[in-house]
Amino acid sequence: MVRRDAAVAAMALVFGAAAAYESSKLPFGTVHNPGPGFFPWWTSAVIVLLASILLFQALRSRSSTAREGPGRIAKVAALLVALSVYTFLLDPLGYPLCTFLLVLFMLRATDPQRWAVALSMAAITAVGSYIVFAIWLSVPLPWGSLLG
Amino acid sequence: MDVLNNLATGFAVALTPINLLYCFLGSFIGTAIGVLPGIGPPATIALLLPVTYGIPATSAVILLAGIFYGAMYGGSTTSILLNIPGEAASVVTCLDGYQMARQGRAGAALAISAFGSFIAGTLSVVGLMLLAPPLASFALKFGPPENFALLVLGLMMVGYLAGESMTKGLMMACLGLLLGTVGLDPIMGTQRFTYGVFKLSEGFEFILVAMGLFGIGEVLVNVEQTIKAEVFQTKIRGLLPNREEWRTSAAPIARGSLLGFFIGVLPGGGAIISSFISYALEKKLSKHPERFGKGAIEGVAAPESANNSAATSSFVPLLTLGIPGNASIAMIFAALLIHGVRPGPLLVAERPEVFWGLVASMYIGNIMLLVLNLPLIGLWVKLLRVPYPLLAPLILVFVLIGAYSVNNSVFDVGITIAFGLFGYLMRKFNFEPAPLVLAMILGPQLEASLRRSLIYSRGDLGVFFERPIAATLMALALLMLLSPVFRWVLSRKLSETVGPVSEPTGEAGDKSDSTSK
Repeated sequence: MVRRDAAVAAMALVFGAAAAYESSKLPFGTVHNPGPGFFPWWTSAVIVLLASILLFQALRSRSSTAREGPGRIAKVAALLVALSVYTFLLDPLGYPLCTFLLVLFMLRATDPQRWAVALSMAAITAVGSYIVFAIWLSVPLPWGSLLG
Repeated sequence: MDVLNNLATGFAVALTPINLLYCFLGSFIGTAIGVLPGIGPPATIALLLPVTYGIPATSAVILLAGIFYGAMYGGSTTSILLNIPGEAASVVTCLDGYQMARQGRAGAALAISAFGSFIAGTLSVVGLMLLAPPLASFALKFGPPENFALLVLGLMMVGYLAGESMTKGLMMACLGLLLGTVGLDPIMGTQRFTYGVFKLSEGFEFILVAMGLFGIGEVLVNVEQTIKAEVFQTKIRGLLPNREEWRTSAAPIARGSLLGFFIGVLPGGGAIISSFISYALEKKLSKHPERFGKGAIEGVAAPESANNSAATSSFVPLLTLGIPGNASIAMIFAALLIHGVRPGPLLVAERPEVFWGLVASMYIGNIMLLVLNLPLIGLWVKLLRVPYPLLAPLILVFVLIGAYSVNNSVFDVGITIAFGLFGYLMRKFNFEPAPLVLAMILGPQLEASLRRSLIYSRGDLGVFFERPIAATLMALALLMLLSPVFRWVLSRKLSETVGPVSEPTGEAGDKSDSTSK
């Protein structure tokens, strides 16, 4: 998995270079009177330098430093998709319903529990947190524009 | 006695019913998340940051500090009973603690770590109380060049100590600095990196970044790994160590407290490293080092004392120099800023009620924690039976509500989730999140002090190397920066003479190695 380390270092390198380019659009000022672009430019330059060192190290070494676990990347990806969907549906569907669905998803798809456990946990979490935060602590959590 | 007078003021603040309640809540939540593997103090403090918006600064810092040092108490319980560290700072406690439990001495192990934590925590508060005010008045003499040098040294130490690769640590620090520049320029007010997005002109909200990196990031990592927890089936009886056990533990507790205090003061030092070093130290000093790993009570007493002591003493650089040494302390920094209290040399003098109130609350909190962790230990053992899959959705929901509540905005929830993904990827590739959050919070100060210094010196970089304090700090920073090179040269020399040396693999070996030099 040396390639993965190298790929990460290369990405950091590209990022640093892009940041340096973006910083160069800001007024740099002079050393006597540094402008807004001065600090970001130097910081980006250091990132480029560090990323080059990492890239060099990754290409030279034979072992990977990346954490290799049993890996259930599919579940992580699924959860991330669910979270993104949650964000998009929060306004139209409202907090209670979205939260119910999210918790249900987690308890059925990421770490499967029995239906009874999953359903009751999801309902308790959604309703309970809505009562505590929206009603007691008056956080204006969306109720859902579609539900009126 | 000035100190006693001030302390009396502090107790007057800390003993008000509302602050006692926050102190208890902090200790209680701290113990709970200490016991639970899969959620650590930085994540918890990030989750509770929005809650602290509505309460006074002193109460907020009492609550959050309680969570931080309380977690050090709780972490050992899981290590001893489950052989899984409840907190990163209790990793070494597994070695001997779990063995003790298997030999039927779980009670003694739990008790000695609670007593050790209490003694160390209390001694460390004494140290904090005596050391902080003089250090703060010394730091008052600092001008922009000294501040810049200090911040550079602080970030360097965090990058050096926080993870296994200094290059990665420093890169995360630079990334944090860059994130900190988004928004208005601190001196001229120019818009930077906002790309016309109005919401970005105030910069990335620290709290969203913190909740994403620590809250969501940790949940994602844990979802991937699944924590399997099985409580060691044993009757916990005899919660008091016998005289023999006390005698063997007394010196390790004292040494652990002292060691922890000094390591905790260093930025990037803190609880985790101190526990490893104190374990290694006890093993080295012991007449029977072979007992370590097989249930030696010193192997529980020393690191548990050290991590508590370090947790408390890491407030020293925060409250005197304005430098947060680890991620949890960075969150507390943010909480104080939100309340308009700037941590730094002026804090003790200008807001004595915050400083002395916190100190007094720490004395009280340690007593509360001793009670919570000894007579009530059964409660936490029950909590351990809650499976992580049921906990994960609760943590997530809490983060999502917290993110939303900062500005009542769904957009913020999206930003938090994006940083969650980033935090997950960072951990996958062994990048530490701590240097990033520290740098992000210190970035504006670092930039302002650099630019002010250069304006003052008319562009002469000598300003950082001519003034004695700045020069000393810079020299230390440089030494730290070059240390990997020294180590590399040294290991090459060694391998030429002795043949190939294996790289230190264990985290414990690596950490104690690099810091004891």
